[in-house]
Parts: sequence; structure tokens; C-alpha cells
Amino acid sequence: MTLLSVRNLRVTFDTETGPVQAVRGVSFDLDRKRLGIVGESGSGKTMTGRAVLRLIRPPGRIEADQMTFDGQDLMAASDAQLRALRGRRIAMVMQDPKYSLNPVMKVGAQLMEGLRQRDRLSRTEAHAKAVAALDAVQIRDPGRVMEAYPHELSGGMGQRVMIAMMLIPGPDLLIADEPTSALDVTVQAEVLSILDNLVKTRGMGLIFISHDLRLVVRFCDRVLVMFKGKIVEELAARDLLHAKHPYTQGLLNCLPRIGGSREPLPALDRSAAWAR
Amino acid sequence: MLIEIENLSVTFHAQGRRVRAVEEVSFSVAARESFGLVGESGSGKSTILRAICGLAPISAGQIRIDGKPLPSPRGAAFAREVQMVFQDPYASLHPRHTIDRVLSEPLAIHGLKGSDARIEQALTDVGLPAAFRFRYPHQLSGGQRQRVAIARALMLEPRILLLDEPTSALDASVQAETLNLLTRLRAERGLTFLMVSHDLAVIDHMCDRILVMQHGRAVEELSRAALASAAMTTDYARALFAASADRMLEG
Repeated sequence: MTLLSVRNLRVTFDTETGPVQAVRGVSFDLDRKRLGIVGESGSGKTMTGRAVLRLIRPPGRIEADQMTFDGQDLMAASDAQLRALRGRRIAMVMQDPKYSLNPVMKVGAQLMEGLRQRDRLSRTEAHAKAVAALDAVQIRDPGRVMEAYPHELSGGMGQRVMIAMMLIPGPDLLIADEPTSALDVTVQAEVLSILDNLVKTRGMGLIFISHDLRLVVRFCDRVLVMFKGKIVEELAARDLLHAKHPYTQGLLNCLPRIGGSREPLPALDRSAAWAR
Repeated sequence: MLIEIENLSVTFHAQGRRVRAVEEVSFSVAARESFGLVGESGSGKSTILRAICGLAPISAGQIRIDGKPLPSPRGAAFAREVQMVFQDPYASLHPRHTIDRVLSEPLAIHGLKGSDARIEQALTDVGLPAAFRFRYPHQLSGGQRQRVAIARALMLEPRILLLDEPTSALDASVQAETLNLLTRLRAERGLTFLMVSHDLAVIDHMCDRILVMQHGRAVEELSRAALASAAMTTDYARALFAASADRMLEG
């Protein structure tokens, strides 16, 4: 069954110089699989992710012919209904742990906050659940991390804490917005395999937003390639290397390869007819 | 050898603890060569660049340029020889200074004349329109800002450019353009690069020789050919190679 269905999604910002469309008619369906959204900055991939949670503030506007999550109409949902969905059923992991964790609160307190407030758990129960969540994202010393402040953690640890926090309520859909671009390659691989495992074992849907095609190939089933707010190509991740669209090919070719040629890297052509 | 680093150690003192960020690292870079340092964060690669500039406390060892030990503090002559480009163009440009002011400051400090013509030339050299002179950093994209940062580093016509993750804050497509720009400038001006990155593919594209670092120590020095043929001898270098994102494409 389709978990999330989006038809003709548009995000518009009204500016002094007239409306700017950040997302222009995006449609996709997602079941409990891994969907990747790739594109350069400004392509509208983050806005698409945020629009699903209706997390766009005025002057931004969200319009869609249809946006349903598990049978529920997201466009018609009230604020209270949306609050019940956010976090509990649809969770989002942001790009940079430095800016997304509260710098003056211990990690443990932040992890337990939701459990205490939302699920009305006792202190001990909340503590046990938080430690278990840290365990699930392979943090070796959960006791120490619970008592640490975010600045005492490395980027990779902070990112894992955020993933743990998002996974505590057991969401059905996780939107991960560049969850690894602040991390080193070795840590990146680790964090991704944690996410991958969770999708498999919990049967969660995943929207993985990234500008790095190489990661998406490895960790997603299907890929949407976005440019200037539009989907220019949708394809199975394993076919990405044989992409038809010149923009997708351009994104792939501009990456340096180990042992590749020393010729200048091909620049991306953003001027062709499809770019309009 | 143009740059010689011998048994360099950098030790930070924080809250009564000693943190040894770099331990006994040695390497040398020939004139017009491009040398790369790779490793994960915390491996000490950026600290080496900062130590060269006198921004990190050197506890042992020596850095020589052209065979001469560096004076401390570094001084004006050093700034005309060696310049650095930082990782994050959002943080390294002063938000309230126009591009004109960013680029003219080094000229003013060193008492160089003809600043108008030099600034226009510098912008043209990095592929930006001359009209960008009177813009502020927030009016530029990330890639354009990094071009400004490169132009600033080149204002004094140094021989050596220290590049600290110059493209890791940029999109893949903008990264390609920035790397091409750096390659072109190096060829045109005969620059020597000492470049730091955690992305092996980027280092491989740009550098002739590579030093792999871990926990502040040098693990293995590799030539470009050795990297391409996966002829590394240490486990860590092999693991880094295997985790490198571009291997995933073949996966």
C-alpha cells in the first residue's frame, strides 16, 4: 500500500519582486522503501521534504492536487492533526547536528523530553528507552553520551543522537535531509548503514535527500533527480549510472574519480531547453 | 624541496589536559608540486596547515620553506610567499566587508599600488564579473564566495597555496568548477599546492603525492599511481580507500 502520495506539489514564496516557485509540480509515491531525492542546492529538494510535513512558514505557500499519508489528507489536516503526525509518524533528520540539537541541554534530557511529555513515561522508563535508542544507533557508551552536552560530541556522534531521537517514537516515515554531508567518509558509511538497517528491520519508509549521487545509488531503491523545482528524471537507483537525462549524467560526470583522468572535470550544462 | 616538514608535533593545552593533535609528521613538497593530506576529522591534517601559518602551537620539529626555518611570528614576507584558502566560504569572508574591501586589504597592508586594476584582474582570473567588486558576501553563492576566497589568497601573488578542504562545503557540480579553477591557476602561475581533504577522489584528482593521516600521525605516503592501483600497504589506507564514496559507484 502506498504510504505517501504526492501529486503536483508546488511551493511558492511571495517576494517583493513577485512569486518565486521553489517547487514546481512534483509528484511521487512512496511505500515502505527508500526514495532518494538528489539535486544541486536550490533545486527544491529540501523544500519538497519540508512541504510533506507542511513545515514551510509564510511567506511560503504549499499547494498540491493531492498529498496523502497513510490515507490521511495532509493538505486538509488541522494544526492539531499535523502535530500528532510530526515526530510520531513522520520524523525528519536535519543536516547539521550543530544547529539542530539544543546546545544548553544535555543529550539525555533532550532524548527524554519527548518521552516524558508525549508518552507520559516515568523518569526511569524514559531513561531506559533513551539508552536503548542510543544503543540502536551503535553508540558504544550510551551512559556517557546521555550526560554530555552536544558540543562534547563529534559530528558523527551528534548525527547519531539526532537519528536516535527521531526513531524513539517509531515513525512510519523518516525524512533525512542531507543526514551525512557534515560527516567524514568513514563515519558517513556507518551512519548510512544504521539508517539502512532501521528501514529494513522496522519496515519504515525513507526519503533520503542529498546532493551526492554516489550515496543515493548505494542506499536507495528509487531516485528522483530535481532541477529548479522540477523532477527531471525518476529512475531505479541501480540504473542511475545509465541515466538518460543530460542533467543526471552531468551530475555524475562532474565527480572526480580515483585513477580518473587529469582533464578538467566536465561542467554542468544548466542552459539547455529542459532547464526552463 | 620547497616545503620541508620534519618531525612536526603540535600539542594543545586545554583545561589541564594535553592534546597531541600532530605527532612527529615529516614530509616535503617540491616546487610546483601538488601534495595532498587525507584522513578523517581529528587526524591533524588541517592542524598541519595551521601550524605552517603560525596558527597552531608547534611543540617539536621544524618547518622550512626554501631551506630556511620560518620566523615566529611569521611576518609580512611569509604572507607574500604562502597563503591559505579555508574550508567554509560562509565563515571565512567578513560579512560586512564588500568584495572590494576583502581584496584590497592585503594590498594596503603590504603597501602595493594599483589596487583598482589588480582587483579587477583578480576577479577576472577567478571567473567572476568585475561588477561583483561592490557586492557583499551574502549576495554571492557558495561557489562564488570560494572564488573570492581564492582571489584573495592570490592577491599577493604567493608561490604556495595551502588549501584546507576548499570544496567540501560545495555541491558536486560547483566543486568540479572550483577544482578546475584551481588546476588552471596552478598551471598558469606555477603554484605549489598543499591540499587537505577527506575525499580521496578529490585529492587524487588534484595531487601528485598523498599522505594518509590518522590520529595525528602519518600512516602512509602514496603516489598517485599507487592509489589508482590500490597498492597501499597499511590497513588504514586501504579502509579509507574502500570507504571512499566513488568506490560505491562500482559497487
